[in-house]
Order: sequence, then structure tokens, then C-alpha cells
Amino acid sequence: MNSTINFKNNDDLAFFGKVNASISHELKNILAIISEAAGLLQDLTEMVARGQKIELEMLNTCSQDIVEEIQRGFTTIKQMNRFSHSVDVPLKNVNLIEILDLMINLAGFLSFASKVRFDPTQEEAPIVSTCPFRLQNLVYQTLVFAFKSVGENGEIQVAVHRETNSSTRIAFSGLGTRGERPFPTEETKNIAKSIGAEIRMADDYQAIDILVTQLGENSG
Amino acid sequence: MKVLLVDDESKFATMLAKRLALRGIDIDPVFTGEDAIVKAKSQRYDVAILDVKMPGIGGIELERKLKELDPGMKIIFLTGHGSKTDFETGSAKATCYLAKPIQIDELITILREVTG
Repeated sequence: MNSTINFKNNDDLAFFGKVNASISHELKNILAIISEAAGLLQDLTEMVARGQKIELEMLNTCSQDIVEEIQRGFTTIKQMNRFSHSVDVPLKNVNLIEILDLMINLAGFLSFASKVRFDPTQEEAPIVSTCPFRLQNLVYQTLVFAFKSVGENGEIQVAVHRETNSSTRIAFSGLGTRGERPFPTEETKNIAKSIGAEIRMADDYQAIDILVTQLGENSG
Repeated sequence: MKVLLVDDESKFATMLAKRLALRGIDIDPVFTGEDAIVKAKSQRYDVAILDVKMPGIGGIELERKLKELDPGMKIIFLTGHGSKTDFETGSAKATCYLAKPIQIDELITILREVTG
């Protein structure tokens, strides 16, 4: 496995670039809000200096917005850091709930993202030995397709089910019929194949399962 | 000068609108393309400042719809992206764009320029 994954292939780089571009867009939006809040504070300060009255509530709102956006920025940077480190090793024991949570958040930066209901309730976290980066790519591509199928006002559901000791199913349901292209694409099939995963589309196109199996050092 | 500001980042739009209002500009902030169309149907705007990437009706599509309502309306695009690609693919060659975070003085200069 270690010698078979080459993160320099075009699909990998395209995915890495796409996600980083959407993160940078999110960070720019955050900085834009902080910039406007700081600018408004400066405006209010100048008004006071000129002897004009200002509403104290405006000061409170500005400072509160800055605090909230800094927190949003920290959360985004933490997600970016986790994503960036997913290329560190080609094979790792990963918690599927953490992977899904990260990908749902990162895909949520897309302008056409729909709502996602994901309420993991399992007592035992589903740990799978796999290539974290490729699995993320697979989940992300599936989320993108699901978003397009329901539109930005729709909602999809994501769940994790342990199938056997060596396999876990990630279930995407509530999909709509607005998909722009066939799914899975050849690209997505290749990603799945590279980590020994399988994608199953329901006959009515309303659900997609990703069957994730354990990969060993010598597999793949 | 009557300005319509459309950005799904509601905090950004609200604060930018307040700052422009403090500088004497009559501005209405809205947070969706759909609300922008409703506003534009109810009153005339000289300029619309549009975020490019928004859920629902995005900035490029919104420009077309607003121009259908009022061909004379001037358009300024705002973007969190550093690329000109989105603009070069639309009709934005005849309009202006600003990258976020914006400089308020630069925006005011552009507002004055486009409204003559």
C-alpha cells in the first residue's frame, strides 16, 4: 500500500487544490468581516472625537462580531490543518466519524452546499485502516454530487453503519434528482478502487453507500 | 445615489452598509439574490454591489436579472476570490469588481465613477 499511493496524480492534486481554494475563500470572508468591523470601530471613534454621539450598542456589536469571526477563523484553520496533514501517511487507522465531520464542514464552504444531517450516535467509533486522503476525496466527491442533486435548499442525511469486522458503510440518503452527471464518475470509481472501497448507487438514485474496507500494509 | 448591496455574509453586508451610510450613501443591504430582485422591483437603484459566490442566485446570474429589470443599473462585483476568471466569463468586462477585504475609500471612488 505505501508504495502504491502516489499523491502526485492529477485527481489528488485537483482535490487538494479545490479544497484549499474553498478554505481560502472562507478565510477571506472572515477577514473581510473583521476588516469591516475594525473599520466601523474606527469610524465610531472618529465620530466621538468630533463630539458626535454614537450608540454604545454599535460598539458592542462590532466587538462581538470580531470575537465570533476570530473563533470562526480558528475553527477553519484547525480544519485546514487536519486536511493538510491527511497526506502525511498513505495508510492510517482513521475514525470515520472524524473524517465525515471534517469533509461535511469543508464541503459546506461550497456556495451550492445543502444542509447535511449527521448525528453519529455509535458508542464505538468506527476505526478503519485506510488511506485518509483518498477516503476524504471519495466522501467529498459524493457530498458534492449529493448537494447538486438536492439543491442548496435541500437536506441530505449521512450515517455510518458497521457491516462486518472489516467493513463499514457510509450511507448518504435523501438525495434528489437534480444531479448534473452520472455518479459515480470514472474518477470517483478510480479513487474508490485505489483504497479498496466500493460505491453503490440506489436504483432510484436517492441514496449512495460507500463501503469502506480495512486495508493492510500489503493491500491496495 | 441609491445603492443595493447583496452579500450572503450578513455581518459583512450590514457593517459595510453602515460605513457607507455614515459617508452619506443611501444603501440597502440584502443577503440573498432573491431578496435583491424583490428590492429592485420595488424601487430604483443607481448601483448594485454584488457578491459573486452566493447560495441560490449567484452574483453573475443576479447581474443579468437586475439588468433585465433596469438596464441602466451599474454593477460592482465583490469577491473573496483573487481570480478575475468569474468576471471575464460574464458580462463584467463593462463593470467593476473589488476583492475582499475592501478599502472603503476605493469603493466610494468607484461608486462615484460608475454613477458619473
